[in-house]
Amino acid sequence: MAFLEISGITKHFGQGAGAAVDDFSLSVERGEFISFLGPSGCGKTTTLRVVAGFEQANAGSVHINGAEVSSVPANRRNVGMVFQAYALFPNMTVAENVGFGLRVAGQPAALMQARVAEMLELIRLPDYGRRYPHQLSGGQQQRVALARALAVQPQLLLLDEPLSALDAKIRIELRSEIRRIQQELKLTTIYVTHDQEEALSLSDRIVVMNLGRIEQVGTPFEIYNYPRTAFTASFVGHLNLLPVQVTDAATGACTFEGTALASSQPAPNKQAGSARLAIRPEELVLGGAGANRLSGRVLSVNFLGNVVRVRVRVGAVELSVDMFNERKLVLPAVDAQVVLSFPAHACWLMD
Amino acid sequence: MPPLLHQVFRPVPFCTYYRMAEIADTRLARLQPRAGFKLAAVWTYLGVLPFFVFIIAFLIFPATNLFAGAFQDAKGNFTLVNIQGLFSPYILKAYRTSLEVSLITSLSGGVLGFFVAYAITMGAAPRWVRSMLLTFSGLAANFGGVPLAFAFIATMGRTGFVTAILKSICYSAADASKVCPLDPYEAGFSLYSTVGLAVTYTYFQFPLMVLVITPAIEGLKREWREAAENLGASAWQYWWHIGFPVLLPSILGATLLLFGSAFGAYATAQALTGGSILLVTIVIGQQIRGDVLGDTNLGYALAFGMVVVMAVCIALYTVLDRRTSRWLRR
Ligand SMILES: Nc1ncnc2c1ncn2[C@@H]1O[C@H](COP(=O)(O)OP(=O)(O)OP(=O)(O)O)[C@@H](O)[C@H]1O
Ligand SMILES: [Mg+2]
Repeated sequence: MAFLEISGITKHFGQGAGAAVDDFSLSVERGEFISFLGPSGCGKTTTLRVVAGFEQANAGSVHINGAEVSSVPANRRNVGMVFQAYALFPNMTVAENVGFGLRVAGQPAALMQARVAEMLELIRLPDYGRRYPHQLSGGQQQRVALARALAVQPQLLLLDEPLSALDAKIRIELRSEIRRIQQELKLTTIYVTHDQEEALSLSDRIVVMNLGRIEQVGTPFEIYNYPRTAFTASFVGHLNLLPVQVTDAATGACTFEGTALASSQPAPNKQAGSARLAIRPEELVLGGAGANRLSGRVLSVNFLGNVVRVRVRVGAVELSVDMFNERKLVLPAVDAQVVLSFPAHACWLMD
Repeated sequence: MPPLLHQVFRPVPFCTYYRMAEIADTRLARLQPRAGFKLAAVWTYLGVLPFFVFIIAFLIFPATNLFAGAFQDAKGNFTLVNIQGLFSPYILKAYRTSLEVSLITSLSGGVLGFFVAYAITMGAAPRWVRSMLLTFSGLAANFGGVPLAFAFIATMGRTGFVTAILKSICYSAADASKVCPLDPYEAGFSLYSTVGLAVTYTYFQFPLMVLVITPAIEGLKREWREAAENLGASAWQYWWHIGFPVLLPSILGATLLLFGSAFGAYATAQALTGGSILLVTIVIGQQIRGDVLGDTNLGYALAFGMVVVMAVCIALYTVLDRRTSRWLRR
């Protein structure tokens, strides 16, 4: 059995309400960093709260380190949790906040002080022990919240969108900090986010969720490059979809408005007919020598910094093309006629 | 965050009025056109003139008069006789009774109100119970004086209907005599005593507490409780280390408010007991009524004494508040 074993968790809020979490099963190995990624309301927080013991599931079980915990109250699970924001105790100093868990456990003061100092060192705020929460920035508050959760040496760390109340720059800084600390302590961690960049950059594995269900579980590389459902494909990263007619289901050959296109995988339902051909914007090349070629007209050119996103109208659809920015890049003109190409292995058929 | 916390944890009456005045003030400032500044200023002052007239005529002037009167004899000469008069056994007893009633009712009303507020915010009470209780509190907190006294006389008085119901619950004892165990007046209760007065005051004290403390309890964040639980704390430990300390400044402020409202009450006690329980306010009433037995200047001294008591209470509150809300200050 894996270190954390979630099996068949289902949670309804009240009679007649749909399932907030629907038959959720997941095995997490010791020391793994897992992200729950999905749109708002898909049940990420609810799942996390079931694991933490704040919510009672209607069905299913949770095993931590081999022990079934459904009947263990939240204050006995030894699972650390970091909330979205404002969860520091306002009437206590930073040091008192961090030491709170040890204090209520009746640990000796000397041990508590040593541990608090160690934790403040870990989050790189060693001189902030005497401050009150309102005297800290949002980013500092979240660091302290992390230290407070870690001080009791939890067997599992749960983070519910810990960075979503912070601004972009601090978010990036703090997320690598979280990853560093997690690896230093080899701590099994579940991280809830609806920011795909965060999930992709931090996780060992990502759990993509939608409407209370798991869509796909995989490494960031698998999730991005081999999405198994249309939802995953379009939720993670940007995706172009071409309505095509499948001509040979076995080889994945198809036509788009009369132009023959090749893909490398067989059609998912193994038969000819209508389908959609998926391709990432960065796989499309203006000009180029790819096997598949489409011609269209440039609608707009958006400069995003490291990439330039070009919108091209091809027949009845609009496609996004991403080009890496470099100083010698020649930007296409709006309204220019262009040819797009892409190799067969870059695209795949979906229902 | 800190200013917000400050708003949440202060008793409503003070902070809301203060905030409203502040907002109105800044709006006004923005509305004033630069060019017509002088004219606008004149109009502004004209607008607040009635307020100042009112304050001077009915607050500052009488208060000065009262303080001066406390140190004057009937002919207007300076004297300390009135102040000395405050230390006569009769008047000291009045102060003691007033303080007792105020303290008991502010504590009993405070505790009761706190638990009602707790139940309607933290408990599983449905929304309509909550809004009904808050509406009731708004009414009851302002329902004092003569009507309240008569309401209690009609229910809990010697012939009140609640008394009658309790009296009628009887059984026959072994020796065939009639025993009525619930008769309140047999058990020593009297509405016209200090205890009765305290019960009556509690009627407007506890709703006042509910009104003042509910927003503060609502300000307790769910995350604090869950974070505490998550770190291994029991419900008691949460309340002891976080919930109660965070509420303490508000509780202190609210208790002071309750104390003041009981200490200054006059009509309820007068109507209920006909002046037979000597509270300071009732003694003042006797002195300044203007009949031959009264001594107006002693009345002034009594009022002066009340101001001193309230000032001491506020000073005490300020010290306690500084200690308990250390974490709120920048
Ligand atoms: N206490 C509750 N009572 C009733 N319904 C709830 C409760 N908590 C959550 N829900 C519902 O359950 C569903 C899942 O909510 P959840 O908070 O888990 O979503 P989430 O994925 O965390 O979303 P977000 O990204 O917005 O935080 C939602 O439809 C929500 O309305
Ligand atoms: Mg959530």
